[in-house]
Amino acid sequence: MYNPKIIIDLIADNVRKTRNPFGIPKSMLNRWWRDTPVRPEGDTLLFTGLMYQFTPYIEKTTHYLERYEDTKLADYMGYSKYIPKFIAGTGLALMTSGKEKKNADSVLRNIVNILAKSNVEFFYKPELDDYSGILLYDLGDQEGFVRHAKFVAAKLKRAGVRKLITVDPHTTYALKVLFPKYTGESFDVKTYFELVSFKSENGGSRVTLHDPCFYGRYLEMSDVPRKVLANLGIECVEVINSEHATNCCGGPAESVSPKLSKEVLDRRVEELQSTGEPIIALCPICLGNLKKSGAQVEDLSTLIARSM
Amino acid sequence: MTLINPEFAEELERFGVSTALDCFNCGTCTAICPLIYEHFPRKMIRYIQVGARELLLENDNELWRCLHCGLCTYTCPREADPGELILGLKRFVVANWRRS
Repeated sequence: MYNPKIIIDLIADNVRKTRNPFGIPKSMLNRWWRDTPVRPEGDTLLFTGLMYQFTPYIEKTTHYLERYEDTKLADYMGYSKYIPKFIAGTGLALMTSGKEKKNADSVLRNIVNILAKSNVEFFYKPELDDYSGILLYDLGDQEGFVRHAKFVAAKLKRAGVRKLITVDPHTTYALKVLFPKYTGESFDVKTYFELVSFKSENGGSRVTLHDPCFYGRYLEMSDVPRKVLANLGIECVEVINSEHATNCCGGPAESVSPKLSKEVLDRRVEELQSTGEPIIALCPICLGNLKKSGAQVEDLSTLIARSM
Repeated sequence: MTLINPEFAEELERFGVSTALDCFNCGTCTAICPLIYEHFPRKMIRYIQVGARELLLENDNELWRCLHCGLCTYTCPREADPGELILGLKRFVVANWRRS
């Protein structure tokens, strides 16, 4: 296990100075929209919270964390805060696989196509799309989270944005529950799959949903993706621990203890694979973590887009 | 000799830890927790109840093994919200680090 103080200080410092936990310049991190036809102005903002964009970097970072956990080198991690953010963030961005970046971007492009097919009017403005700060909240850096969340909420307010479409459970929870409580700003928040309005008979397949903790328990919306899939002719084969009783994939522990994360992951994957069906994830953290196990897994948006 | 310190639970209230004394230590949270062999989170909640401030701080790294998955809160028969208690303890420890 890594010393949590070192990890928290590093992430908090990155968020304070660069507005994201990896210190990667936003111009390198958020590029998916460049070749995608999205309106730049409108009433409802697609707010990705940058979580899918982080997934290739999470994979790269945890690869090194796994290698040095419980070794003498682990204690030297604290010194990385003395490396200028631009150099550290750019270095990480350059070390990360282009293929993985494209895979992460394709999830967001699929979501844009799904919204368009559902006749949802929305716009995207990368300047307004920020990280929610949720990791600081989960790690207990309340002061850092509130400071960052207030910055994000104030920016949206200044731009006159009140309606948001989200794409992952962590950002959705932050905006729906935490922002009103800690920033005083409330937004009308919907996830993209709540807005799917089309039906199709193209599906004809069976899948097993891995409910993320935040959609399953904290936001109690596990029924929504199941209805979407039923409307596409896709059958969900359930495991015992699903919906409210879903089991964690272990992803949240990967920054502090990759070993623990893997233990929890292995148990969950065994359970999910017991159905013999491909696994569907609804969260970038779960998706990245489940992929590590070698299981057959894809994002809900990929499945919906393929079934359109 | 160990003394019980009820003021510790009060000190923690400003970090969002307000339901620790509702817990009757049944262990349901520990049974359901993905960290199956750690007596977690019951042990941490017990530290709050008896006011074992120093003992908690000596073992504070354990708090970050919590996945914040919410299974303990979902199953707690006393609605003591163990998941939120652990999150509140993290806030307390982080604030303590920053002060020192």
